Amino acid sequence: MIKNYFRPSTIDELSELKIKTNGYLFSGGTDLFVKIRAGAINTDTVIDTKYLENEELKIENKKLFIPLNTTYTELRKFIKANQINPIIENIVKTIGSPMIRNRGTPVGNIANASPAGDFVLASYLLNASVILKPSSKKIPVEEFIKGPGKIELEKEEFIYGIELEILDDYKFYFEKVGRRNAMIISIASIGLLIKEDNEKIKDIRIAFGSVAPTILRNKEIEKSLIGEKIDKNLFKYLANEFFNLSSPITDVRASKEYRKQLVYNLTLKAYINLYEKVVI
Amino acid sequence: MKIKFTLNGTLIEKDVPVNKRAIDFLRDDLGILSIKEGCGEGECGACTILVNGKNVHSCLMLAVELDGKEVITVEGLKDNVIQEAYVEAGAIQCGFCTPGFIISTKALLNETLNPTPEEIKEALEGNLCRCTGYVKIEKAVKLAAKMYKGSDSND
Ligand SMILES: Cc1cc2nc3c(=O)[nH]c(=O)nc-3n(C[C@H](O)[C@H](O)[C@H](O)COP(=O)(O)OP(=O)(O)OC[C@H]3O[C@@H](n4cnc5c(N)ncnc54)[C@H](O)[C@@H]3O)c2cc1C
Ligand code: FES
Ligand code: FES
Repeated sequence: MIKNYFRPSTIDELSELKIKTNGYLFSGGTDLFVKIRAGAINTDTVIDTKYLENEELKIENKKLFIPLNTTYTELRKFIKANQINPIIENIVKTIGSPMIRNRGTPVGNIANASPAGDFVLASYLLNASVILKPSSKKIPVEEFIKGPGKIELEKEEFIYGIELEILDDYKFYFEKVGRRNAMIISIASIGLLIKEDNEKIKDIRIAFGSVAPTILRNKEIEKSLIGEKIDKNLFKYLANEFFNLSSPITDVRASKEYRKQLVYNLTLKAYINLYEKVVI
Repeated sequence: MKIKFTLNGTLIEKDVPVNKRAIDFLRDDLGILSIKEGCGEGECGACTILVNGKNVHSCLMLAVELDGKEVITVEGLKDNVIQEAYVEAGAIQCGFCTPGFIISTKALLNETLNPTPEEIKEALEGNLCRCTGYVKIEKAVKLAAKMYKGSDSND
């Protein structure tokens, strides 16, 4: 049961409280309070990060900086106003519901480190780095997330923000398969970014959610495709590769076989939607 | 912990246990009975309230987080326009979900009085209704927007 509630206003205060109490940090509480209620987390101390004097959302050197306590709703407004990374809007609008987006945060999503985390997928696609304080370490997201729910954080550290690349002139596709429209925790998801040069690949990034212990992305495969002609055969090859690379589990939402098939089908569907312009 | 906030326009100062959820504090201690508990985990929207103009789940929030905030529930809406639109459109059956829908409708209409069908769907996607089938609720939202616009032009 929660017995202590703290509201640190400085980085040092927050860090000291974390060491001293071993309490759980929270911003939106949309993950933490669900887990406490379900009995998955039992803690007597929670630390509310919303009183911290932190920086604002900003764009610097072609990077987007999202500090802790930024909600999805605030991020969407910022993305729209600055007309950057439209794929983020496509992903974020599928997260939860307006109520979840008014409280939930990208930083909370990363800290939660779920392979189904939609903002985790966005971060992988945009080569994000996670910025920690008080150490000021900057760690690539795929190194920061070690496995389902596992992150690399020292006792005194917390996530201060996330930095993502800003990409121009990319085609993109995102789809999340789940059991109902709003508030789906994905059964499988795909995110794809492609930059073209004369119908050939200049850069490609492809990531899948919920089909491996962490988000599945493979930079070697991506690199090997640079200069290749974009056609259905190429996507069939990709679909096959990721079908083989995926290692999903069976849970209440879907079986592992079904998820593997989704990896294959979603890859082809992404191609069809982007290049054969079939309206679905 | 001592907190201070406005609830439906009235300043409230209270000492609340830090483990108490906002829903329990508002419903049980302050008697705001429009707030319903359906699921208790962010899925159904029956507990939706407005905090600083944004709709949020009172079941996933601590009472101490209300400190310094402006909280609005159905009891504190300035007019009955949305309620009347819901009645008019036949958008209420058992009524358990209705306060949550009304608050989400208010959050939408605070942003725009010309919502597109997509915007209406998105605004209501976090509210579940086991009775009506949603079509009449969407009609009610359109009607409420129209009624607000009508009353604006009379001003
Ligand atoms: C109904 C519902 C629907 C949802 N739908 C989706 C969905 O569609 N897609 C999706 O990806 N997620 C979904 N979620 C999960 C959740 O909303 C998101 O993961 C959200 O981004 C969490 O952010 P938060 O600020 O609320 O996290 P919190 O609950 O505040 O924190 C989450 C975790 O991170 C830790 N933490 C928080 N801040 C920090 C920090 N600064 N440094 C280190 N650790 C920290 C906390 O201790 C906690 O363990 C849903 C949740 C609910 C209840
Ligand atoms: S009771 Fe809060 S969302 Fe269901
Ligand atoms: S009217 Fe009964 S749940 Fe909506």
